[in-house]
Amino acid sequence: MSTTDGPRDDPRDDGDAELACGRSLDAVIEQVSAGHAAERDAHQRGCVHCQAALGEYERLWTPLRELAAEKVTAPEGTIDEALARIRGAIAEPDYAVLTSVDGVTRVAARVVVVAARHTAEAVPGVRVALSKNLTGRATDSEVAAGVAGSSAAIEITLAADYGQRLHQLGDEVRRSVTERVRRLTDIEPVEVTVIIDDVLG
Amino acid sequence: MTERPDELDREADEWLVRKATSDGGIDAYEVLIRRHRDRIYRIALRMTGNTHDADDVAQDIVLQLWTALAGFVGDSSFTTWLYRIVVNRCLNHIKRRRNDDPILDPDVATSPGADAQAVARARARATMAALTALPPDLRAPIVLHEIEQLSYQEVATILNLSEPTVRGRLHRGRRRLAEAMQEWT
Repeated sequence: MSTTDGPRDDPRDDGDAELACGRSLDAVIEQVSAGHAAERDAHQRGCVHCQAALGEYERLWTPLRELAAEKVTAPEGTIDEALARIRGAIAEPDYAVLTSVDGVTRVAARVVVVAARHTAEAVPGVRVALSKNLTGRATDSEVAAGVAGSSAAIEITLAADYGQRLHQLGDEVRRSVTERVRRLTDIEPVEVTVIIDDVLG
Repeated sequence: MTERPDELDREADEWLVRKATSDGGIDAYEVLIRRHRDRIYRIALRMTGNTHDADDVAQDIVLQLWTALAGFVGDSSFTTWLYRIVVNRCLNHIKRRRNDDPILDPDVATSPGADAQAVARARARATMAALTALPPDLRAPIVLHEIEQLSYQEVATILNLSEPTVRGRLHRGRRRLAEAMQEWT
C-alpha cells in the first residue's frame, strides 16, 4: 500500500487557522512540537495571544513527548517465533508444511510442480507446459515450485497455440493454476509466473 | 565491542544484509532482526494501537523481510527501507481490519486516589487513543516524525510523498491530535 499524494492533500483542506493576532496556528503548534515553545520571537514576546497559545499547546504536547520517550521492548517470543518458522522452512526446502490440530502434513515441491503443469496444459490455447524447481535444482521439466511454510512460488514455461491472445492466455493459466494448486494441496500459491516461451503453428 | 545507536551503524546493517542474502544467511538475518526488533514492534504498536495487532504485524514483517531482503538495493539506508516496509505493513493491516476502531489495550482504572504512576498510565493511554483515532494517512507521518523523531525529508522518503505533503499532513495531524487531547486534559 502506498501513501502517495492525493486529493486530500490539497493545502486548502483543513485550512490553517489564525490566532487573533494573525499568526498561523499551525506554525505555533509546529514550534511547540519541535520543542521550541520557549524560544519566542519579538512578536511573540509582546503578544498575549501567542503566549497563551504556546502555553496551551505546550501543555497538550507533553503527553505525546512522554509517549515518544517511553521505551518499548518487543515481547519475548513474538519475533523468535517468526525466526523459528523461517529456520523450519529452510530446513525442509523441498516440502511445504501444512499444520493442523491433528498433526503436520508435508507436501513435496514436485507435487506442486506436477499439479501446476497438468493444470496449465489443460487451459485451451496451451500446447505444452514445462516446469522447474525454483530452488535451482535441475529437473526434467520446466515447471518450478519453491515452497516455504504453506506457501509456494510457481513458474511455468509454456508454448502457446498460434493465434492466441497471449496476455489473456497468461492470465487464464495463472488463475487456473492458482485455484487448482490451492484446492489440491491446501498450499497457497503466492506467486505464479507464466513464461510464454514459444508460439506453435 | 563499542555500543553504537542503530541509526549510526548503517555499515553494520549493510554488512549483515550482505551476509543474510548469501550462503548461510539465516544467522546474519537473525542478528539483523534482533538489532531492529524493538523498532519494528514500537512502530507497529504506535500505528495499530494495541499489543495484539502489534504482535501479528511484527511477526508478519519478520517473515516478509526474509524474502524481501534480496530486493534491498542499498539506495537508502537499511533503516529507512525497514521503516517503509513496517509502515506499509501496518497501513495494510489497518486497512484490512474490518472495524478500524482502535482496540486499545485495557489499563487499570484510575480513581481519585490513584497514584502518580496510574495517572501517567492513564495519560499515556489517552494519548494512544488520540493517536490511533487519526486516519492512517495522518497517523503515519505523526508516528514517524513526532514519535520516531525522523526529519521531514526522511518521512517523505519512507512514505513516498513530497516534503510539502508531509508537512501538510503533519499540520492536520497535529491539529486533530491537539483537539483530541484537549478533551482528555
